[in-house]
Amino acid sequence: MSKRATGRLTALAATCIAVMSLPVAGSAQEPGLSDKTIKIGMFAPLSGPNMAYGFDVANAARMYYDKINKEGGINGRKIEVVLEDDRCNANDLVAAVKKLVEQDQVFLLNGGSCSAAVVAAKDYVVRSKIPLIMLNASGDGALYPPTDYIFGAFSISQYAVGGSIVDFAAKTFGAKKIAYINHDDAYGVWNLEGSKADAEAHKVDLQVESISPTITDVTAPFFKLRAANPDALAIVTYARPAALLIKKAYELGFTKPIILSVTGTANLSQLVENVGSKDALKNFYVQDVLADLPGGPKIKWVYDMYKEAYPDLAAKPDHPQAYMPYGIPPAMSIVNALKEAGPQPTREKVLEALKKQHFDTGVMAGPVVFGPQERAANKSTIFIKFDGTNQVLQPGVYTSRWQYKG
Amino acid sequence: MDLQLALLFLQQGVASGLVVGSVYALLALAIVIIFKTSEVPNFAQGEMLMAAGYVALYLLVFRALPAWASISMTIVVAFAGAALFRRVVLTQVAHASGSPVNLVIATLGLSYVLKGLVRQTGFGDTPRSFPALVSTDSLMIGQASVTRLDLAILGTAIIVMAAFFWMFGYTKLGRAMRSVGMNPKAAQLVGVNLNRIHTIIWGLSGAISAIAALLISPKLLMTADMGSVVTLGFAAAIVGGFASLPGAVVGGFIIGIVEQLVGLFVSSRAITLAPFLAIMLVLILRPQGLFGGRVVIKKV
Repeated sequence: MSKRATGRLTALAATCIAVMSLPVAGSAQEPGLSDKTIKIGMFAPLSGPNMAYGFDVANAARMYYDKINKEGGINGRKIEVVLEDDRCNANDLVAAVKKLVEQDQVFLLNGGSCSAAVVAAKDYVVRSKIPLIMLNASGDGALYPPTDYIFGAFSISQYAVGGSIVDFAAKTFGAKKIAYINHDDAYGVWNLEGSKADAEAHKVDLQVESISPTITDVTAPFFKLRAANPDALAIVTYARPAALLIKKAYELGFTKPIILSVTGTANLSQLVENVGSKDALKNFYVQDVLADLPGGPKIKWVYDMYKEAYPDLAAKPDHPQAYMPYGIPPAMSIVNALKEAGPQPTREKVLEALKKQHFDTGVMAGPVVFGPQERAANKSTIFIKFDGTNQVLQPGVYTSRWQYKG
Repeated sequence: MDLQLALLFLQQGVASGLVVGSVYALLALAIVIIFKTSEVPNFAQGEMLMAAGYVALYLLVFRALPAWASISMTIVVAFAGAALFRRVVLTQVAHASGSPVNLVIATLGLSYVLKGLVRQTGFGDTPRSFPALVSTDSLMIGQASVTRLDLAILGTAIIVMAAFFWMFGYTKLGRAMRSVGMNPKAAQLVGVNLNRIHTIIWGLSGAISAIAALLISPKLLMTADMGSVVTLGFAAAIVGGFASLPGAVVGGFIIGIVEQLVGLFVSSRAITLAPFLAIMLVLILRPQGLFGGRVVIKKV
């Protein structure tokens, strides 16, 4: 090849490289973003047996976005929501996420009310490099080890559920020995790890029994815990085993304080029915993650907003659903991050803003706090004394000491 | 663990094990009578129990019928439902293919249908309590604590099993059932109506499941998945010998007691594992089960 031809080819290659490195028209605009709108992909259980976990949570987030839109939007852009039904099922959830990302081309994702299902989307979300801000799922499996793209536990993480319950028992009852019952699944392991951190800090002896979520007879684990003569009983299970344990404690004349984690309190009136007698709840405390009693003065504005946004739903006897207020903090988090990202937001800017967030929602017991290694928003809980009829808020906020150590 | 605590655990384990074991024994009995006469393991037995439990809950709580009416109607509905399934579905499946595998798959289908139906009603959306018809006040037997309800469960289960054994051993119908179990062709030759006997056996199996549901539901919380308790019935049947009625009963008590003792002396985590370890041990050491006959290899 002649020197001239080589020179021409070199020039051509250089031109090609230069052309390829030029910004393509429109590529600066991220997916889901226009001059007037920001498209957010939401997913929640809108049907099926697990609808109570997320239907009204999604409604709460949507009404908050509507409020922001009425106030002028974010840096001139209105929020546009595309909502999909995930049925709290891993397959449906991953399909919904893929549709929102690939077909609807949303800017970011806001969804997930059931931890096991939302964790299934982790790999796809990280691979797609799209921000996922969960709704009310704790989703610990997707939050630790931390990634750049997934933020959650706006209600609370499972580590913090366990830790804060020990914190409450130690501070309120001066408990030095706590009978602690959890599940023998991943949730139970996370709960227990958090509890151990707080037990160590308070020099509390934890007597642990781990049971299957499908256990049919709780006599053996309860007997073992009672034999340890504990100062309090902490039940960190789902609703069904929790009701069986409280019932058994009553049958066997256990009178020490019983503290039930938020994971077992989805429906308190059903709990009363399931334990068989209000007498079983004479010395009984339940954990909650809101800033106040449900409907209490501190969070009344959320319930008022719901009534205004969804008058037809609010008129129904089973609405708003118990977890409805949990939808506000993730929506606030997204709005704050978008504002922080400025008039030309990118996904990277939003992710950077999220990592630095520290603000009080006024809805949950503790503030939303993220950090370089922290992707779980809330670690604080309140406790309510419940006698089967009345709920009395106990003073103080109880926080888990557990930290992710890498 | 000191000796006093060990004795307390031992007494409690045996007492609680006998109570839950009596329900497992009933379930094992329901499984074995079907298997013994048709060689079909009924994988819908748990869901038959679950559906019967919800029928009773509906009648007793939502329709506020008296307990005696709710109980008898539940047992009748369970008998009729199971008999109808045998008569309409299984007979057709058997005629269509003649393969026992298809019969097993039909029972699996029934389990999904029943679960789906209960979920469809909305009653299965949340764990529900079944009202105890007997007081749950505690009593001490030695150092073991049991409730009056526990004693009622054990007593009722024993009465039902005794009545069943009497029927099987001393009535014309029972003898016909046994003959079908031993040699259906010979039974037919001497005038036993096979279809009628199979239908009655399925009906009885449904009725036993309904009684088990009425006994155990106040102790469990009811969900559409409560039929999974049948796994322990299968475990009891395997331990006792899948073709032995007394074996099913003894297997039920063994599984119940082993579960409790393992929970108390080993670990609560091992409770769900214990029945399967018992199955494996029995299958290794005595494959025909504790009360099963000698293993017979059929020549093809």
